[in-house]
Amino acid sequence: MPRLDPNDIKFRDAGHGYDIFGLNPRTVAAATRIAGLLYDHYFRVTSHGAHHIPAGGSAILAANHSGTLPLDAAMLYIDVLTHTDPPRVPRALLDVFVPRFPFVGAFFARVGGVGGTRRNCRRLLQDGELIMVFPEGAPGIAKTFNHRYELQPWRVGHAELAIEYRVPVIPVAIIGAEEQWPLIARIDRFKVFGAPYLPIPATPLPLPAHYHIHYGEPIALHEDYSRPDPDDPEIVAAAAARVESAVQVLIERGLRERKGIFR
Amino acid sequence: MTRVLVTGATTGIGTALLQRLFARPNVEHILAVGIEERPSALPPDSDRFTYVVCDLTRSRQMRQLIFGPARTLGIHVVVHSALHRSALDTGKHIHALNVECTRELLRLIERHPTIERFVYRSVAEVYRLDHDLPNLIGEDHPLELSSRAPQWVRDRVEGDLTVCTQMGMSSVSIVVLRCAEILMPEVGSQLWDYLRSAVCLRPIGFDPMINVLSVPDAVRAIERALTCRVQGVFNIPGCDTLPLSRITKNWGRRDIPLPGPLLSPAYRLRTRTIGTEFRYDLNLTRFHFSGVLDGTRARDKLHYEPQHSVQWRKAAS
Repeated sequence: MPRLDPNDIKFRDAGHGYDIFGLNPRTVAAATRIAGLLYDHYFRVTSHGAHHIPAGGSAILAANHSGTLPLDAAMLYIDVLTHTDPPRVPRALLDVFVPRFPFVGAFFARVGGVGGTRRNCRRLLQDGELIMVFPEGAPGIAKTFNHRYELQPWRVGHAELAIEYRVPVIPVAIIGAEEQWPLIARIDRFKVFGAPYLPIPATPLPLPAHYHIHYGEPIALHEDYSRPDPDDPEIVAAAAARVESAVQVLIERGLRERKGIFR
Repeated sequence: MTRVLVTGATTGIGTALLQRLFARPNVEHILAVGIEERPSALPPDSDRFTYVVCDLTRSRQMRQLIFGPARTLGIHVVVHSALHRSALDTGKHIHALNVECTRELLRLIERHPTIERFVYRSVAEVYRLDHDLPNLIGEDHPLELSSRAPQWVRDRVEGDLTVCTQMGMSSVSIVVLRCAEILMPEVGSQLWDYLRSAVCLRPIGFDPMINVLSVPDAVRAIERALTCRVQGVFNIPGCDTLPLSRITKNWGRRDIPLPGPLLSPAYRLRTRTIGTEFRYDLNLTRFHFSGVLDGTRARDKLHYEPQHSVQWRKAAS
């Protein structure tokens, strides 16, 4: 991946080189340089259909989630930065326990992560940001190896936001993350800093699975639903199901097209 | 234009507001109220300015103020910004100033013949901060109602809610301004007290975003509240949103992260030995989790937008 210049990153400076949520382009560039090594040489990410990522304006990336640690989110993050010009920082919605982790919470805020609350999302979409969301949440990343590529219960918040704020949803399938660090068990009673479980992976380090990231065509939920519709749970569930099935189709295509887990 | 009564005239923000109002020719008269003798920064008594010494915790004195000079001068607007500044003091007398006098003031102005508007300067510390709450704080954000909260916070929440409960019920139009932290002395700013030390300690691994309000912006927001006709609760953010470590650096202080459990005893020890006003227990969540005021409502209704950055070097010196 090309070296990222912090000056190329567009963001809403709140006065001191940070946006109101704590995003700092210098940290983004530095983190990307390090994670870029994983992206280029370890996971050797291949991107498919990146032209579907909007060059500007608000949008929501909805992806499947897996891999014991959120390395899939990191790879998707770098893939979006790499395939947009000027580079767009996708704003990952974080689970509520993340800010409690020392260093981790602060680091995620500096690279664009935002607590996944309604008010935060609203501001991001009003500001024209690209939101990155994993509707499966922690259960997606916590599933054991025998459930790989099975979508966990799909949350509906992204569909609600998309209809309310009239923004497209781009379905994303991440192939490879399921095999990167197989989870054999988890200890649910271990809840340090509010984390939902302690993962027990099969290997001491992640495996160099070949990542494939597939972007689908943007789904314009807002064209089929009107503004009051987010208040109707059935409509929102149906809209979210459309996104889920689009991701499922992409997963199946990705699995079909790849030559092997490590190739 | 109007005749204004300002309480808390001797606080940093009160003095700045009075100077600003005095400079505006369309303010017909200013009745400034403070508990101390007249500070030198205030203008002398004239046909446009009167300073009155009044202990607002004394019901009789307050009654005499409201139905004495305030009636004679035909006051239209009350700006209530009197809050006890020290975070170390506790007890009934402090509560009386922070809460009971606000309640009494509201009761009296209800019967006053000329007062039409009440502007209450509240603070952002009334909001609860936590890991599962939005970083962006709207006016409907949860308030810090925990029984473990120190009196300094509880009083401010109760004072704020006391005013809010009268909104729409009173014949007086009411505005509550929840201001971001103003970095200046004599306003009860905990951040100011924090930055008074050469070495500033913060919990390791956390660097929350903090919004700071400059004095000119705080004064502008109150001015807008005086002249607008709307009522309601409004967040008043400042121009500067930055991490705590950056604030420390801008202030020319040394930022040292330490493990969280060491900070409470360290700051308690410092308070006892050096006597600083900073209380870590008051700022515990604020030093871990970001909380930035969302000023959208103030922008839309009060037409207030922050314009003036904090002059870091000047303020620090």
